Amino acid sequence: MRETPLSNCEREFILNNIAQQRRLDGRNAYDYRDLRIAFGVSLGCCHVELGKTRVLAQVSCEVGDPKQTRPHNGVLFVNVELSPMACPAYEQGKQSEEGIELSRLMERCLKESRCLDMESLCIVSGEKAWHVRVDIHVLNHEGNILDCSSIAAISALAHFRRPDVSVHGEEITIHTLEERNPVPLSLHHMPLLVSFTFFSQGKYMLVDPSLKEEKVMEGKMVVGMNKHRELCTLQVTGQMLLLKDQVLRCSSIAVTKVTKITELIHQALENDKQARLRGDKHGFAVLVSGDKVTSNRLPTTEVSVEKTEVSMEGQSSEEDSEDQSATNNGADISDKPDESTSKSSAVHILTKGVGMIGEGGPSTWLDLPQAIEKQQKVKKRKHRPAKAEEEEEQESSEEEEQVILK
Amino acid sequence: MSVDIRLASSRPAGADLYHGENPGNIVTPGDIITADTGFMRGHGTYMDDECLHASVAGTVERVNKLISVRPLKTRYNGEIGDVVIGRIRELAQKRWKVETHSRMDSVLMLSSVNLPGGELRRRSEEDEKMMRHYLKEGDLISAEVQNVMSDGCLSLHTRSLKYGKLGQGSLVCVSPSLVLRRKTHFHNLPIGASIILGNNGYIWISPTVQDKSEESGGYETNLQPVSKSDREVIARLRNCVLALAECKMLLFDTCIIYTYEASLKYPVKDLLKPEVVVEVVDLVRQRLELEGS
Repeated sequence: MRETPLSNCEREFILNNIAQQRRLDGRNAYDYRDLRIAFGVSLGCCHVELGKTRVLAQVSCEVGDPKQTRPHNGVLFVNVELSPMACPAYEQGKQSEEGIELSRLMERCLKESRCLDMESLCIVSGEKAWHVRVDIHVLNHEGNILDCSSIAAISALAHFRRPDVSVHGEEITIHTLEERNPVPLSLHHMPLLVSFTFFSQGKYMLVDPSLKEEKVMEGKMVVGMNKHRELCTLQVTGQMLLLKDQVLRCSSIAVTKVTKITELIHQALENDKQARLRGDKHGFAVLVSGDKVTSNRLPTTEVSVEKTEVSMEGQSSEEDSEDQSATNNGADISDKPDESTSKSSAVHILTKGVGMIGEGGPSTWLDLPQAIEKQQKVKKRKHRPAKAEEEEEQESSEEEEQVILK
Repeated sequence: MSVDIRLASSRPAGADLYHGENPGNIVTPGDIITADTGFMRGHGTYMDDECLHASVAGTVERVNKLISVRPLKTRYNGEIGDVVIGRIRELAQKRWKVETHSRMDSVLMLSSVNLPGGELRRRSEEDEKMMRHYLKEGDLISAEVQNVMSDGCLSLHTRSLKYGKLGQGSLVCVSPSLVLRRKTHFHNLPIGASIILGNNGYIWISPTVQDKSEESGGYETNLQPVSKSDREVIARLRNCVLALAECKMLLFDTCIIYTYEASLKYPVKDLLKPEVVVEVVDLVRQRLELEGS
């Protein structure tokens, strides 16, 4: 099913904000979203969350025939699966253009960079070799599935262990996992893809686009690099022309990002290894917290509540910064009632179970002539809060306080 | 900015909201409709183990020997004569592809629109090249369904002066099952706004245009700034429509006007709060029941 297109207003809004260096989620132009890497119980299973984009990669291997042109090498398969679970626009089974492009880019990133030592995957030259298969499933598409898939694929390859093989003359034994410990794949380096999106004919550039930003972009450049500053992949798509210094600048940004992400991957691998050695709980179950029914997680946002009294004497301000977590609503309200009788309350209780923090100010959107005059009149008067239930007001709120949220 | 915090325990229970009579015959996916093999199966059903099961959640309809399940929540299925609001998604040869919240994009043929310069002009090559000047990607139009093709794709037309490109206003998207098929879908409300109730669930609220003297085929959009009072009315109407949609009330012009009147005692942005929504829609429901009986 095709998805609903963005309306013209939304498109203009996003582009105007990008022109003023603002992104919808408040990031800077070169910031990545929160990256979380988790490994599953089975070896070679990696789940990566980049903001809300989620990708699962699974590595598996089996013995097969090597390619006739390369008898000493193993074979690597890379496959990216786009299913309706990721986005309703994708169809199950049928490979869309986007799916083919992603698969090709992932293949180029992993194969042509020669990150995996293919000769070590050979068992008997010309007859038997390991076929390593990387299956990447996109679980949720909130923008930038390419970066997420590359992180997941490399982490899964680094995490995977293949069965040990011993050769005695003519006899080859492939040991089961119980007989001998499985052996890791030999990864020379970790190539990672970084996506850059361009807007307004190449004037503005963003790293790690979200879904809405991807929908309004004009062109995209993908740079594949490893932390040793070696360029592995480069692809430019879209309707714009890039200058040489733009390409160079993007690659230098890519180096810093790739270094940071590689460190994160190594740390996650190390944590997983330690957890397995100690016998601790490991796998995806660690991601889910035990005190909630749902596994949905919202990042905490810091909100600072500055209260000013608009009076003739002057302005007194108290700063009250609070951590607002969407899951801790009950706890916040129960803490506040004893404070609400004093002047320094942040939460106004409206009715049973409903509280309000902050006070809406006059609208800053309208720039019509009559609206500007009216606003000036309102600012001179004291701002009166418009609440539905007047009887529930506390004594503190009778003093008209203008609360400005930063 | 003000942030509202609500305790989950004080949310109104869902059972309180439903006041109508039980329509009966509601099935959920997997329910067995009948074990009798004499029936033919229609849309929304499947055969499993000699029994007829429902594959969607909805009401069972039986016409002689045909059993089908009409789903409660579905994409828009067009009928001839429906008024729809759509957004131009792309331009193809001699046609526009319009997105109307249905399973496939609807089609607006070049021969089905009013071109400036009279009705009976022949569509030439020039017209094809100038298509983007009439309607381009992202534009909103109101149109009527002329034909339903065999694969379910709708063919639209704007061959009347009341259809065409939409100018300034606010679009609200609700479920298509909430908009009834009525005689007119274009209403000029007495409060100073016009509303178009599209059968596909898209509702267009715009300020009333005072003089409808000359229309050049519906392509000229009025871009004069809209006054603040009109904007407030439109914002309030939008919140009213969203409140009705949240309580699953059917949408028609009297219902919307009643909701508007009941909402006047609240400021516009308070209409987005769940408690206010429940209260306002309760008032409207009572008033409609009084008038109906």
